[in-house]
Amino acid sequence: MTTLLGSVSSRLRRPVGRKGLAPALLLVPATLILIAIIGWPLLQLVIVSFQQFGRAQVFGQAAPFVGFDNYTRVLGDPQFWQVLARSFLFCIVNVVVTMSLGTLVALLMTRLNKFFRTLVSVGLLLAWAMPALTAVIIWGWLFDTQFGVVNYLLSQVTGIDFTGHSWLIDPISFFAVAGVIITWQSVPFVAFTIYAGLTQVPDEVMEAAQLDGAGAVQRFRLIVFPYLKSIFLVVTILQVIWDLRVFTQIFALQGIGGIREQTSTLGVYIYQTSLGTGDYGAGGAIAVIMVIIMLAISIFYVRQTIKEEAL
Amino acid sequence: MRKLSLVALGAATMLALAGCASGGSAASGSSTPEAGSIRVWLNGTDTPQAARDYLKTTFEKQNPGSTLTVEEQSWTGLVDKLTTSLSGSDSPDVVEVGNTQAAAFTSAGAFEDLTSKLQELGGSDLLPGFVAAGTYDGKFYAAPYYSGARLVFYKKDLLAASGLSVPTTLDQYVSNGVTLAAANPGVSGIYFPGQDWYNALPYIWENGGEIATDDNGTWKAGFESAGAIAGLKQVQQVMEKASVAPKDGNETDPQVPFCAGTVAQVSAPSWVKGSILAAADAKAPGCPDQTANLGVYALPGKNGGAAQVFAGGSNIAIAAKSAHPDLAYSALKIMLGTDYQTILGKTGLVPALKSLSSTLGTDDVAKATAEAAANAKLTPASPKWADVEAAGILQDFFVKIGQGGDVTALATDVDSKINAILNG
Repeated sequence: MTTLLGSVSSRLRRPVGRKGLAPALLLVPATLILIAIIGWPLLQLVIVSFQQFGRAQVFGQAAPFVGFDNYTRVLGDPQFWQVLARSFLFCIVNVVVTMSLGTLVALLMTRLNKFFRTLVSVGLLLAWAMPALTAVIIWGWLFDTQFGVVNYLLSQVTGIDFTGHSWLIDPISFFAVAGVIITWQSVPFVAFTIYAGLTQVPDEVMEAAQLDGAGAVQRFRLIVFPYLKSIFLVVTILQVIWDLRVFTQIFALQGIGGIREQTSTLGVYIYQTSLGTGDYGAGGAIAVIMVIIMLAISIFYVRQTIKEEAL
Repeated sequence: MRKLSLVALGAATMLALAGCASGGSAASGSSTPEAGSIRVWLNGTDTPQAARDYLKTTFEKQNPGSTLTVEEQSWTGLVDKLTTSLSGSDSPDVVEVGNTQAAAFTSAGAFEDLTSKLQELGGSDLLPGFVAAGTYDGKFYAAPYYSGARLVFYKKDLLAASGLSVPTTLDQYVSNGVTLAAANPGVSGIYFPGQDWYNALPYIWENGGEIATDDNGTWKAGFESAGAIAGLKQVQQVMEKASVAPKDGNETDPQVPFCAGTVAQVSAPSWVKGSILAAADAKAPGCPDQTANLGVYALPGKNGGAAQVFAGGSNIAIAAKSAHPDLAYSALKIMLGTDYQTILGKTGLVPALKSLSSTLGTDDVAKATAEAAANAKLTPASPKWADVEAAGILQDFFVKIGQGGDVTALATDVDSKINAILNG
């Protein structure tokens, strides 16, 4: 590392005609680190996905190559397609809810006075800062079948006896609970980012529109949204990526209740296939497919970022 | 932001590399083990605190300069956790593993070969079923640690109030449960959370069913056999009519609903007695006021006598990647020693050494344990069985049974899944 930095600095001291090389050299350390901590595991993953790799191989036995065998097994398994469809559906619902709530909270923050804005910010920060596993366990207690406060309150308020109602046994209800937990933790990021963007919309333009008789919805649609279009796009893409690869929340909730087979999403399914059933080859194949999907989505993100930097 | 995270990544890489460099010193094969610190993984709260303290003090006295740390692991997800940690560079030294999970690791080469130490550890005095569970391909890898039996704990006053006595057949046990649930709304006559597949097995075995049978090297799952279906229908009856436990709940901490007053009877491992009667100010409080009211009996079989129950228990092994195998063996020897096993026996766990079975005492738990253990049965002896457990197939299956699903269709479905894993 030191020799590398040394050679970079010595080149920088001689600016004669070497301008083109310096930026590339400056990128070398970062690239090396990325290759070491992301590229290498990714390569291993791709290799494993073409091997017959079980628990014995984890402990050092040779792994034979089996070509596309793992891929054909995975793609021919109806459960994989169910999991994939479920993951996308859950992701879309989460992104829509998160983006709407986040935008509304951001708009609210522009209207609040300093005291309440600070209060809202602190509340959002706390939800954001809470480790996902802790959050799931506490939400799990709230929704507990036997002793949960949700069942207790619902029984008190509605007069219908909710004692013993399981919130996780029905897949739709399971995903509703999971969705609440995930949205609760993703709204802060969206709200803060969009709030930051909202402060950049020039007041004069908004005032002029108001004088011309534009209502609140029109002002948002015709002025605010176009100004913040790139922010919305980037945040949405990030949310799609994060919600598609959700793991902790689903995995921990499955430990509390529910039926694994009906509630697994991609991340959890990879874990169950690899570590649960000890079929690392198939698990690797699913993971590679997931990487490809993520890359396809990320390309939008990267293109958008480059476009912005070019402006 | 990006630059900051890059610096952080760089720092993390350096730390990781530094960590690798310092972990390379392995123990030598000399008679006095080089001093070091070892980690012992025990699961759940099964091993009593007295035994843990005894292990640490004795080990550190026998090996001056060395330290031993007991790290408690969760039974849930244990196979996954052991697979990752035993294959990594930061492997624990001594690990406890469920007897039905042992084969997954002995067959993969995750444990140190203990064949030459078998006699020294107890030889023929060790529980034979557990020696078999820890043996693979003629080599002995995982020693018996303790065995446990599932017993039925009940509230004497509730049974008396309904005019019931301790059942003598499985059918009577089920009908008692239904009667108790009907007489006490909001109370489980038999507490049976949906994921508790261990407690569902006796119903299947008593009705003549099997989980899976080995047919000349090919495993054939047996839930769709006529006997198993009859047992499954009985399970469904208990879950629907006798239990108000969560249909998708798991079997951990049965003392909580028991002490909250929503359980009349529960089938649980013998050491649960200690959890139920734990002092009110303990870390996991129980309800010691129930001491006189707490009754226990061995689950009755279909035709009387003790039912065939699941033979739970643990094996204990040394990780193949342990940095201090000699120290680890020293700890293992203490854990299979008379003093340590006596502590286990007094808590209600069946000791790994047959000669110590008298340490269980003569109270009603001990008597019920002896009865139940005499007729205990194991899960299929396939190295892939642990994968069936880890995949959660049986948990899902019994949750669906508890939901009131069609037993025959569910059994056919689960059989094809088990066949695929065992023969895959």
